[in-house]
Amino acid sequence: MSFRSKLFRYSNPYDLSGTEELFASAVRENCSYVYNHCPEYKTILDAEGFFPNRIRSAENLAELPVIPTALFKRRRLLSMPRSRLPVVVTSSGTSGHASQIGFSFGDLWAGLNMVLRVCRKRRLLSLRPCHYVVFGYQPNRKNRTGASKTAFGVTLFTPALSRTYALRWKDGKYVLDLKSVQAAIVKHAKSRFPLRFMGFPAYAWFLMKQMDEQGLRVRLPKGSKLMLGGGWKQFYTEEVDKPVFYALAKKVLGLDEGDIVEFYGAVEHPILYCDCEHHHFHVPIYSRVLIRDVQTLKPVPHGTPGLVNLISPMVRGTPLLSVMPDDLGVLHDNCPCGLDSPYLEILGRVGLQDVKTCAAGAAELLEQMEVSL
Amino acid sequence: MILANGTRYDSAMQDRILDSLCARLNQRLAKPAPAADTVIAAIDRLGRQVAAGAFDEQIAALQIDNAEQYKNMAIRLLRRDYLEFKVRTELGADFSADRVTNPPQGLAPLRVLTRPLGVLLHIAAGNADGLPAFSVAEGLVTGNINLLKLPQADNGLSVAIIEALLKIEPNLADYIYVFDTPSSDLAAIKRMADLSDGIVVWGGETAVAAVRRFAHPGTKLIEWGHRLSFAYLSGDASRQALADLAEHIISTRQLLCSSCQVIYLNTADMDQVRSFCDRFYPVLEAEAQRHLPKTMGAAAALTLRSRTDRLEALLDGHGDKPWHSVLCSLIAKEDSALELSPMLGNVLVKPLPRERILEVLREKKQYLQTVGLCCPPEDREDLTQLLIRAGVTRITTLRNMSVSLPGEAHDGEYPLRRYLRTVNVELTAQTDDGFQE
Repeated sequence: MSFRSKLFRYSNPYDLSGTEELFASAVRENCSYVYNHCPEYKTILDAEGFFPNRIRSAENLAELPVIPTALFKRRRLLSMPRSRLPVVVTSSGTSGHASQIGFSFGDLWAGLNMVLRVCRKRRLLSLRPCHYVVFGYQPNRKNRTGASKTAFGVTLFTPALSRTYALRWKDGKYVLDLKSVQAAIVKHAKSRFPLRFMGFPAYAWFLMKQMDEQGLRVRLPKGSKLMLGGGWKQFYTEEVDKPVFYALAKKVLGLDEGDIVEFYGAVEHPILYCDCEHHHFHVPIYSRVLIRDVQTLKPVPHGTPGLVNLISPMVRGTPLLSVMPDDLGVLHDNCPCGLDSPYLEILGRVGLQDVKTCAAGAAELLEQMEVSL
Repeated sequence: MILANGTRYDSAMQDRILDSLCARLNQRLAKPAPAADTVIAAIDRLGRQVAAGAFDEQIAALQIDNAEQYKNMAIRLLRRDYLEFKVRTELGADFSADRVTNPPQGLAPLRVLTRPLGVLLHIAAGNADGLPAFSVAEGLVTGNINLLKLPQADNGLSVAIIEALLKIEPNLADYIYVFDTPSSDLAAIKRMADLSDGIVVWGGETAVAAVRRFAHPGTKLIEWGHRLSFAYLSGDASRQALADLAEHIISTRQLLCSSCQVIYLNTADMDQVRSFCDRFYPVLEAEAQRHLPKTMGAAAALTLRSRTDRLEALLDGHGDKPWHSVLCSLIAKEDSALELSPMLGNVLVKPLPRERILEVLREKKQYLQTVGLCCPPEDREDLTQLLIRAGVTRITTLRNMSVSLPGEAHDGEYPLRRYLRTVNVELTAQTDDGFQE
C-alpha cells in the first residue's frame, strides 16, 4: 500500500504528531512521482537544487520548492496525460485567467477517504434525508469550477430530498435567484426533514438580510445546518464579523452557532479544512501548513502572520505538493476545542493596494497582473 | 451623491436634477461670470485651511507615501501669489480686460474679449487624489460653470474640498455641479455633455475614445490623456545623478505620466547597456530598500509575483535574471522602442544612439511627455533641441522628472487658455450701427 493510501485512511484525521513520519514518507513518494512525470516540475526542482529523496522528516518539509498558485494560471502543469485525469477543474477565478488542475482516480479516491473521515468527525454524515439549498452554481456541463463541484459533493453527505440553487443556469448564463431560495426555505421549514445550506457565505448573508428586512422568521427543523465555503470573493467589502453572522442566522433561521459549519479549501490545495465548534480551521493530517515571511519566504513561528504555504501529498495529477495561494494567514495553537493540531486563520488577500496611475497603458497592465497574480 | 447649487442630493435624484439643469445653467450664463480675483481669493483661503490641518484626516486616510510632501505642495499651489503667477504665465496680465486691436494699413480696429467657454464638463479620472477638484478649480478661475463627473474610485476628498470652497465663497455655488454618475450610465453623461461647451477628459485611451464617440462634433474636447516618459543618459552619469534617478523611479513607482519607464543610453553597444546595469542596479536596489512596501499585503504581493516570474522564467528556459530582486529590477533590452515598463521598480534599459532619437520617438509621438536628461553640459542644448523636435513636451533633470515645476504647461499646453474663448466685436460708429432712430 502506498504511503498516501495509508495516510488518507488513517483513522484520526487530526492526529498530526502520530502521522509525522507517514506524512513525510507520503510527501517523498508524491515528490518523486511528480518529479519523474511532470517535466516542468523537474525543471523547477533541478534549478533549485532539490531532489525528492531529500525529504527525510517533517523537519525539512520547508525546503520543498514552493509553487505560487498563480503559476497554474499562467502554465498548464500536469504529470499525466489527460486521458488519465478523470477530473480537470478550473479555479473559480472571477475573470480572465483560470488555472487548470487535473486529478487522477487515485487522487479522487484519497480525497473521498479524507472527506468521509473529516465529516464523520464533525458529524456531518447521516442517513437521514435532507433538503438542500446551495448558495452556489447549479451544476452544468459548462461549469468546471471547483466551487460548483464541491457544493454538489456536499449534498451527498446525506440522501438529498431536493436541491435548490441560488445561482441558476438560465438562458445560457447564471442568474442569482434569491427569491426561489427564500420560497424553498419557507416551504422546507415546515418539513419533517432537516434543511441544509451549502455555499458562498456572501449569498447566505444577503439572503438572511433580505429575510430580516421583510420581517420573515423561520425555525428550521432540528438537525438543519448552514455550511459555508468559498470565501466572500467579490463581496469582500461586505464581509461581516462572524458573531454578527451567527446572530442573524439565529434570528431569521433559528439556527444555533453549533449548526453553522465552515469549510476552507482551494482547487490548488483540495484538502478539506472543516471548522471546529469554535469555528477554527484545524490542520488535518493530510496537509501541513507553514506560514512564511512576506519578504524572505522563510518560515515564521506560529502566531506570526505571513504568506500561507500549503503542503499535501494528496494529488499526483498536478504538482500541488507545496503551493502558495495569494492569501495572508496565521497559525494558532491551543484551541479550547481540545484538538491539538494548529489552526489556520486567513487574514485576507495579498494585493497592491490602491494603485493609481496616469502612465499610458498602465491601468490595463496592472489589471492583468492582478488577475494573473 | 450629487452636489448642485451648494446642496447635497441623493444619487437617485440625478435625472430630476438633469431635467432642470439646462434652465439653471441658462439663468446663470445670462449673468456675468465671477471675476478671477474672487475665485483666487476663495482658493487662497482654502489653502490656508489646508495648512491649518482642516483636511489632515482625509489626507491621512489616503495612505499615500510622502503625504506631508504632497500637502505642502498643495499649500504652495493654492496660495494667492502662486495662482496669480499661474494666471499671468498662462494668460498674460489682465486677460479679462477688453482690448482693441491696432491693425496696420489703416484697417479698422476690433474689440477683443477673452471670455469663458461657458459650461465645462469634467470627466475626471481616479488616478490622482483630489485631481477632480483641481480640474474644477481651473474651470472656475477662467469663469466657467463646471459639471464634474466623479471617477468611480473617488474617495470623497474632491467633494470635501469643493464643499469647503463653497463655504468660503457661497456665490460660487451656481458654478459647480458634482455628479457621481457611473461611467456605465452613458445616457446621463451624454445629457451632461450636450449641455456643455467643452469637455475636459482625464484618463486613458479608453476614456478619451469613449468621450470622442458620444460628444457632439462641435463640442470642444480638452483631453488630458496618459503619457510615457523616459530618461536619456549620454556619457557617464555621476553617482548623484544615478541616485536621483533611482529615487525618482522608486518614489513614483513609475505610475505617473512623468515617471521613467525606459532608461535610454546614448550608445548602440549592448555591452555598455549591461555595464550600466551593473553600475545602476545596486543604487536602485538600495533605494528600493529604503522604500519597502508599507503594508504586509503589498510586500506579499511583490514576493509572490517575483517568485511566480522566476518559476515561469525557469520553465521558459531562462536562468536567473541578472539585476533582479523582489523589490526592483533592470530589464536590459536590445531594441530601442519607447514602451511601458512593468512598473513598480522594474525599469527597462535600452540603447538609443543620438542619431536615432528622432525616428524612435516619432513612433510614439502621441504619448511623449517628460525626458529626464543627463549629459555633459556642452551637449545639453543640442540634445534638448533634438528632443523637442522629436515631440517631447517637458525636459528636466533626473531628479525633477515628476516634480511639478512652477508655471509649467501641461502636456504642451497651458490649460487655462483652453478653457477660454476669444471673442471679437466689431467697433461700430454711431452712424453705422444699422439702428434706426
